[in-house]
Order: sequence, then C-alpha cells, then structure tokens
Amino acid sequence: MKMTTYLIRRILILIPTLIGLTIIVFLLTRAGGINMIISPYLNPRLSAQQQALEKAQLIKQFHLNDPIWVQYFYYIYALLQGNWGLTKTDIFTGPVTTAIALFMPNTIQLAIVAYIIAMIIAIPAGTASAVRKNSFFDQLTRFIAFVGISLPVFWLAEILIELFATPTVSPSLDILPISGTVDPNLLQGVNWINPSLGISYPTHILMIDALIHGNILIFISAIRHVILPAATLAFTSIAGIMRYMRASMMETLNQDYVRTARAKGVPEKIVIKKHARRNALIPVVTVSGLLFAGLLGGVVVIEEIFNYPGMGYWTYWAMYSMDAGGIMGSTIVFGLILVTANLVVDILYALIDPRIRLGE
Amino acid sequence: MNMEKRNPRLENFIVTLKIFLRDPGAVFGLVVVLIYIAIALIDQFDPALIGLSNVDSLNPNYFNPEPLPPSPQHIFGTTYPGIDLFQGILKAIRIDLGVTFFVVGIGALIGILLGLVSGYFGKWIDEIIMRITDIFFSIPFLVLAIAIAFYLGRSIWIISFALIIIWWPTYARVVRGQVLYIKELAYIEAARASATKNYKIIFKHILPNTLAPIFVQFSMDLASVALIFSTLSFLGFVPTLGSASNVSSGGYIPELGYLSSIGYSYAVIGDWWTIVFPGFALLLFALSMNLVGDGLRDAIDPKFRR
Repeated sequence: MKMTTYLIRRILILIPTLIGLTIIVFLLTRAGGINMIISPYLNPRLSAQQQALEKAQLIKQFHLNDPIWVQYFYYIYALLQGNWGLTKTDIFTGPVTTAIALFMPNTIQLAIVAYIIAMIIAIPAGTASAVRKNSFFDQLTRFIAFVGISLPVFWLAEILIELFATPTVSPSLDILPISGTVDPNLLQGVNWINPSLGISYPTHILMIDALIHGNILIFISAIRHVILPAATLAFTSIAGIMRYMRASMMETLNQDYVRTARAKGVPEKIVIKKHARRNALIPVVTVSGLLFAGLLGGVVVIEEIFNYPGMGYWTYWAMYSMDAGGIMGSTIVFGLILVTANLVVDILYALIDPRIRLGE
Repeated sequence: MNMEKRNPRLENFIVTLKIFLRDPGAVFGLVVVLIYIAIALIDQFDPALIGLSNVDSLNPNYFNPEPLPPSPQHIFGTTYPGIDLFQGILKAIRIDLGVTFFVVGIGALIGILLGLVSGYFGKWIDEIIMRITDIFFSIPFLVLAIAIAFYLGRSIWIISFALIIIWWPTYARVVRGQVLYIKELAYIEAARASATKNYKIIFKHILPNTLAPIFVQFSMDLASVALIFSTLSFLGFVPTLGSASNVSSGGYIPELGYLSSIGYSYAVIGDWWTIVFPGFALLLFALSMNLVGDGLRDAIDPKFRR
C-alpha cells in the first residue's frame, strides 16, 4: 500500500469512530431524561405555571418530541455549528464552548509538563534496564513499573500532598501550593492576565505567556503550582513508557549494525547513546503519545484534588452540580483528544515503519 | 514400550504451574489475592468470624466523630465520623472485589463471544465489531465511566454496567487476534474439511486455545477495574446498595475509594492515617493482581519457557 492510500484509509476509518463517539454521547444525554437537557435553560424565578409553559416551548425548540434519529441529526448539526449548549456549575456558567476555551489551556499546560517529566524519567530508566538486563536495577525498575500501574491515582495525589504541602505531617517539606495555577498576589498590575477568567494572553498557556512577557516570577509560580499534579499524572504513564523503551532498546541492541559498531571498536557508551538509543527512541516517542492520551482521563481526579482549573476540574464540578452540558462537552473533548492522538501516532508510525502500511 | 496414556493438557498445566511458582513476585501476589478473596468470602458468609457486624455499612460513631490515630483498640486508627478503619477496610474488600470480579467476568464473557465471532467469520462482521470496539477505545475509560454513571444513575448495578460496557472491547480484541492466528492452523482446516459445524469448531477447537492470553488479561484487568471503580466512588459516584438504609445512615458504604475520600479533609490537616491505609489496601490488591498476571504470562507464553 502506498502512503497516500494508507492515509486515506486511515482517515476514512476516523469517520465511523467519530460518528460512534457522538452516538454514544447523544444516547447517554437522552437516557438521562428531558429534564437534564432543558434545566439549565429554565428560569428558576418563574412560577410553576410559567415554567411548565417554558418547558413545553423548550421541548419544541430542541425537537425533543421528534423520533430519536431526527433528534440525533439536530444534535450533530448543533455540534458542528459550535452550539454545544450551556454549562451551569459553581466554577463557571455559560456556553460549553467558552468553558472549553477557558479550561483547556490549563490542561494542555499540565499535560505538557507531565509528559516532559514522564519522558525524562522513563527514557533513561528504560534504556538502562535494557542495557543491564536482569540486573538489580532492571528488577527495581520492573517493580516500580508494577507499582506505577497499580497505584490509585487519587491516593498518589493525596500522599504527595501529605508529603509536600501538609505542614503538620512534614514541616520541612511543606513547600508547594495545592490550589490554582498561579499565586494571585503576583497578578497585581499584570495586564496580560484576566484574573476573573483566569486566562492569559496571547497563547492562553500561562507558562508560555509568562516567558513571552519576561515575567520570571509568574513563570516560577506557575511551575510550582503545576509540578505536583503533573508529577502525579506523569507517574501513571511512566510505567508503560519505561517498559516499552526497554523492549525497543533490547530489540535495537540485537540489530546487525549495533554488532558492526561494536566489532569495529566503537566505545560501548557511544554504541548505546548514538547508535542504539536514537533508533530505539523513535517508536517509543510515537507510542508514548498514545499511552499518555489514554491516561489523560486521570486529570479528572488529579485536577479535582489539586484544585487545578482545567478540563478535569470542570468535569468534576459538572458531575457534582448535575450539569449535563458540562459532562457532554468534556466527554466529547476527551474523546477527540484520544482520537486525534491515535490518528497522529498511526500516521507517524506508518512514516517510520514501512511494514505497517505495506500490509497487515 | 510405554503404553500408559498421558494427558497432555494436565502435563502442560503442571509445567505452567511449576514455572509460575518459580517467580517469587507471582507467588507473593497469589498469596495476597487469596487472602483478599478469603476476607471477602468471610464478610459475605460469616462476618462474625473476624468480629464484624453489619457489613453493608461503615458504622459511623457520631459520639466520637474526630479521627483518632492508630492505637491498640483501632489498629489503623479511625476516620470521620468515628469509623474504625481496620474494620472499614475489611468490609470494603467485599464490595470492591465483588464488583471487580463481576465486571471483569461479564465483560470477558461478552468480549470473548464477540471476539470469537469477529475473528472466525471475518469480513463485514469483523469490520463492524472492530469499529465498535474502536468507538469505545476513543474515550478515556475514566471519562466514559463518569459519563455513563452520570446519566444513568449511581446504583451499584449501574456503575457495574458502566464498567462492563467499557471492558468488553479489550477482550474482543485479544480473542480476535488469537482466533485470526489459530484459524489458519492445519487442525482447524482439517476440522472444516470434515464438515464440522462452525459452532463446534469455535467452541471446541478454537476457544480452549485462546484461553491463555485471556487469563493474563483477566488478572491484569481485575487490578484496573478495582482502581477505576474506587476512583469513581472517590469522585462522588458512591454506589448505593439498593436498600435505602445506607442512604439514611449518611450513605457510609464500605468502599476503599470512598473511605479514602471521607478522610481526605482531615488528612490535609495532619491525620495521615485516614488516607494512607485505605489507599494502601487498594494498592496492595492491584499490585498483587498485576504480579499474578505477569507471572501467568511468563508461565503460559512458550517464549519465556527455558
């Protein structure tokens, strides 16, 4: 199969997946009942009689009495038009799309930092355990990987808070904040952040904006706020990436060109660093993106515990406030992230490894 | 000449068991898991044996609600409101294990059937079933579980249902992959040539040979489902047990994630034991299950046999 054929086929497969994703979410919203859909639009100050009238009007407006497949088409039409409904939670009330625009950048920031932490730890650890196979170090990383996939995320977050942010338990280590994205005291006189919305300009990603504006204090504060949730998120994916790196590295070390390099007398350090590791990294970097995206659901727990205002925090509050719009919107966004990650990884992989596109 | 009939399946099983028992991690995991299962069974059938009563509730003590540190009376301490953590954890193991085994069992059953059909018949049936699994893999598990539980309700049955919906596609894929490989083998061709019925080929000749990777998947999933289930109740999807008695007593249901969440507001002011023990009980179970799964994989997969 040629690359273009592969690309077209891969993108065509995306369509049923996206339709399926929206069908699942649509069916769930309908299973939740009519009241869940229209309650954010009802005016609570109206009398019962007026409310009933308004309700009937809303049911008509949203086509809720039509057959279910007709409703689905109206739903898709609204989604494509960017009309994702209303969200009504204690932390934000307004259109779902606005909420996504507000909370998404913070989650992106958290994910970037977490991904960097995960790679910084997992790649060298995976390399070393492949080079020193079955050594004590290899056994140790294996055990840590097991603990990593067995740890309840909420518990890890709680323990980190106990260690780094609870003065009565660890007075000497009480060094990190556990709420928000930045110290509010630093925001006075800063004109590129809107404190009431918690949004910064121009990129909306606080750390990058702080660097653009050269405000090191805010940058450091942002890092201090993101480090604990990011470390928690990173830890969940380190195990997978590390084991994958180990397998990939072992495969590379058995290749002929590595043997050739060794045979002609290249020092072992350089064989490992330049010849083997660089090639072993390629599949790991592609697949790690997917692994990471799959575990991104963990931000619901992590952002809730660390009061970090991202997509997961919003999802948690939507759940807590019985806000159907928020749950609907965030489910679709998390789905889109995973679907996109999947697509990108598949395409990258086909570019790297011709065997993938040449046949099953 | 040795005419004694030997059972190859039994011999294979003994070899597998020997390799499994050689792995100290796997043996440790197996022992811990068996202890957990024993606790769950005692909770269910004779709770008085380990000094428990009223296993459906955490028995709050409103006269002395503040958390107390570990002491001889309460070896793990107490959590708000006056719940003995040791007893709470023992009771919680029953619900956590029950839901986990139920979810993975039913999920595996559905997934295995669909995977067999998908892999064996191929073509458009395969295409449809695999596209459906794609859809379920397109939403992060935890987010999908939250959405399902949010819209459908939060009884223990609905939450189990949500987790089953999430879990069957994994099995469908694992089994399908196995079937695709097995159905090309000569003995299946022979069975087909002798006009054996499809269902007989599937259940008699293919299914037994797909079981090994399923067992591995099964044990690892027991860990993941336990984690997601307790995460859901940590987040507030505390399962109701059907009877209204729990809700009226404040809804203190024995569940490890929930135990960890009620103690949390005290943990941040220093009462570390309120979160450390319930979470550790969960970690220990998940870790053991994963070790068992890894040991099983090494024992079953011929590549690792030396």
